[in-house]
Amino acid sequence: MKPFFTAVALAVMLPVAALAADTAEVGKPAPAFTLKDEAGKEHTLSQYKGKVVVLEWTNPGCPFVQRHYTADTMQKTFTGVDAKKVVWLAVDSTASNTPDKSAAWKKTEGFTYPVLQDASGTVGKAYGAKTTPHMYVIDEQGVVRYAGAIDDDARGNKKGGTTNHVKTAVDALLSGKPVPTSTTEPYGCSVKYKS
Amino acid sequence: MKQRVRRSSWGALLFLAVLGLCLGAAEARAQLPSTAVASGAPDEGNDRVEAALLTDVAQVKAGDAFRVGVRFRMDPGWHIYWKNPGESGLASEVTWDTPGTTVGELQWPAPSTFRTSDGYITTYGYAEEVLLFADARASEKAEGSLQLSAAADVLVCEVHCLPAQLMLTRNISVGPETRPDAEHALVFAAAHARVPVAPESSGHAVTLALDTKPLTAGQPFTGTLTVTGPRGQPVPAVDKDFFVPERIPGIARLALSAVAGRPGTFKLEGQAAPDVPAQEPRFAGVLHLGSSALTVSLPMASVVAAAPGAPVAAAAGKPVAAQASAVAAPPVAAESSLSLGLVLLFAFLGGALLNLMPCVFPVLALKAYGFTRTVHAERGQVGLHALAYAGGIVGSMLVLAAVVLALRAGGSSVGWGFQFQEPLFVAAVAAVLVAFALNLFGVFNVGTDGTALVEKVDSSHGFARSAGEGVLAVVLATPCSAPLLGTAVGFALAAGPATVLATFLMLGLGLALPFCLLVLVPGLTKLLPKPGAWMERGKQLLGFALLGTTVWLVWVMGGLTGVDGMARLLAFLAVVGLGAWLYGLVQGDSGGRKAAGVAAVVAILVVGGVLSLRFEEAGPAVRKASMVAEAQPWDETAVAAALKAGQPVFIDFTADWCLTCKFNERTVLTREDVRAAFAQHKVAFFVADWTRRDERISAKLAEFGRAGVPMYLVVSPAAPDKPEVLPELLTADSVTDAVRRAAERVADAR
Repeated sequence: MKPFFTAVALAVMLPVAALAADTAEVGKPAPAFTLKDEAGKEHTLSQYKGKVVVLEWTNPGCPFVQRHYTADTMQKTFTGVDAKKVVWLAVDSTASNTPDKSAAWKKTEGFTYPVLQDASGTVGKAYGAKTTPHMYVIDEQGVVRYAGAIDDDARGNKKGGTTNHVKTAVDALLSGKPVPTSTTEPYGCSVKYKS
Repeated sequence: MKQRVRRSSWGALLFLAVLGLCLGAAEARAQLPSTAVASGAPDEGNDRVEAALLTDVAQVKAGDAFRVGVRFRMDPGWHIYWKNPGESGLASEVTWDTPGTTVGELQWPAPSTFRTSDGYITTYGYAEEVLLFADARASEKAEGSLQLSAAADVLVCEVHCLPAQLMLTRNISVGPETRPDAEHALVFAAAHARVPVAPESSGHAVTLALDTKPLTAGQPFTGTLTVTGPRGQPVPAVDKDFFVPERIPGIARLALSAVAGRPGTFKLEGQAAPDVPAQEPRFAGVLHLGSSALTVSLPMASVVAAAPGAPVAAAAGKPVAAQASAVAAPPVAAESSLSLGLVLLFAFLGGALLNLMPCVFPVLALKAYGFTRTVHAERGQVGLHALAYAGGIVGSMLVLAAVVLALRAGGSSVGWGFQFQEPLFVAAVAAVLVAFALNLFGVFNVGTDGTALVEKVDSSHGFARSAGEGVLAVVLATPCSAPLLGTAVGFALAAGPATVLATFLMLGLGLALPFCLLVLVPGLTKLLPKPGAWMERGKQLLGFALLGTTVWLVWVMGGLTGVDGMARLLAFLAVVGLGAWLYGLVQGDSGGRKAAGVAAVVAILVVGGVLSLRFEEAGPAVRKASMVAEAQPWDETAVAAALKAGQPVFIDFTADWCLTCKFNERTVLTREDVRAAFAQHKVAFFVADWTRRDERISAKLAEFGRAGVPMYLVVSPAAPDKPEVLPELLTADSVTDAVRRAAERVADAR
């Protein structure tokens, strides 16, 4: 029986989750944070109360992120919503990232929203971000309303008819309707956290 | 993988096709055309993945089935993903373009679990090499050759990730007969062996009981999953990543953890997704349990929207779904409680069967004798005797259960028959047997004033004797692991205290059943012969049966403690005999003489016991646990070596005190034809000897849900992870068949 007990003890002590719970849960208040962007400016979640906030976990080294930036998916989604009512924040939790790298990337891709610097991974883990790109949409009251993939085209081979989950969620929130799809499985690379 | 293979060398393909036709595909080891191989995900000058389009046939006959697959080879450290990639990544995808060939669903070998170095992100997939394959069938009208094309879309990750799209194409020739591709058939067989199987097909049963139904969108839920093996034994998790969930719409999170003290029982913790899914979610995933991988798909419950005001979209018609699931709930619960009921039934039947086992037979004979004695007494008294006998059995079973629980709480390794690993216990049982035998010979009498037992049944002492016989029956029954019993006891020993007690109770009732039946059914007693002088002779004869059992115990002691131990036991038994004789002399006396005599008996037994009962475990001396001559001691590395050498392996889990084991060895394993079959298939025969305590063996037994011996495993080198467990009572046919199957699997795989 001894090996049996050892096995049981082992199994019990394991992290319970095979699919760990996202810590930013849809329907619950979004974890608060304060992060500097690539230019050194501080952003606090609470300062954007009253606006819809989109968080985009990103990593310019990830082929999936590259594909979406080449296709301008993020930029088009951002410019397609009312900038007065919506704040778009990219977050880079890659351990090896630096503000300079983010600035250079921003210049190459030509987008305007800030890239928050989270090389320590603290905020990424607070949200349970595991993938790049991994998207969160937070409503005007600071409650998470969407978490998951940017769209339903994981392989980038859909010939049209793609659903942009983030745009759908933002549009629903701005028109006061419930978000039709509030979670999807994100696809892409894993977040390269500091280990 | 360093060289990037040109994808579209049609010339080469044509050349090979022509060559193939010319040679009539005579060459069994078909060379892969260059178009059938491609590599991708370039990184630091290396392609991190190479894919090859394989078939298990070199030539196919029109209308015949074959297999087609894509073999991925990754650079060390790199992996691709399972159909559920986990928390990041992308499922691998293979799409087919095969005019003239119908290709079935993609088969996924059981995936591995990968974690980032901080353990934060978990993904599922394959490292090194994997074959994703499908069953295919050539059209009835196929002729000439068939073109097979596959597009593989995979994400290859180490720390960073690289997507790869690989186009693969080749032809296979159509001929008058289907000829296997010897080399690749082996690859397909190996991949097929790794595909998780449905529980039904391997005799497993998986049941799920949710604690609450229906599920509420966005809310956590719990439940219990129970897994039993082909013999109803619980199947514990041995691997830390034993559960790989599929991606289930409507379920945000799903995790299983083993329940302490209850192997085969797992706690389910999950969370419903915030959105109500279109369909009722099913519990789906791969379980790596014991030595098998199972693919599980069980209904869960419908998901309803959270209470009004909750931040999820309300959907119409959901209350109906909730009702439906409430109706569906009871069968699930019934199924899981049934498994306990079934175990108790097994325990009862097993207990009844124990009466027929060689170890209990002497006691049964004794009881039969006792019964003819009591049957002519008052009817009420007979009932009381039956009650006492059953009480003795059940009582000692419960004591045994309590001992098991206590030892288990102390962390000791116990199992069915474990007491016989303890020399003092063996000595005590032998002493009781000798005392009983001498009693039957008439050296002394129990509780009577010396006149014939047949005539006067002193009720109170008679009942004590009946109870004592019950106790003895239990004590002797334990080393005989009857069919069915192994499972029930294995389940019980691994389960909670209540289950242990219930199982042992049922065992006891089963064991007491035949005698109680004789008493309770009036007609049966008339069938018994009338008492007479023959009974005294019969009684004495039974004494020799008990001595025979003693001989076996002495031999067990030899196995435990060597020749010295045997001599000490025999010396003690002689002292017991002396004590019994002395007691017989004084028991007719009264008052002081009798008291002095009893005191002398006690003194002799104590002094004799103290002097003789000092057993030292014999060293790992050269002892032979198996009667099979070419047997080697069991050892995982030796087994692995034999399997690697392509030898089928037979493992005999045995113990000297296990009569079923000895019976099997004597009547089956040493038989000429069985030995010949072993020799013919070059079987490596291993003996795991559990005569003495051995943690490794206990662990191995537990892995197969067993708590005791015998257990017989046949392992094929073609499927080292899937040993076949033979029944506890062997037959020559079952052994030779199993060995032949194991050997044939190798032949097939080649």
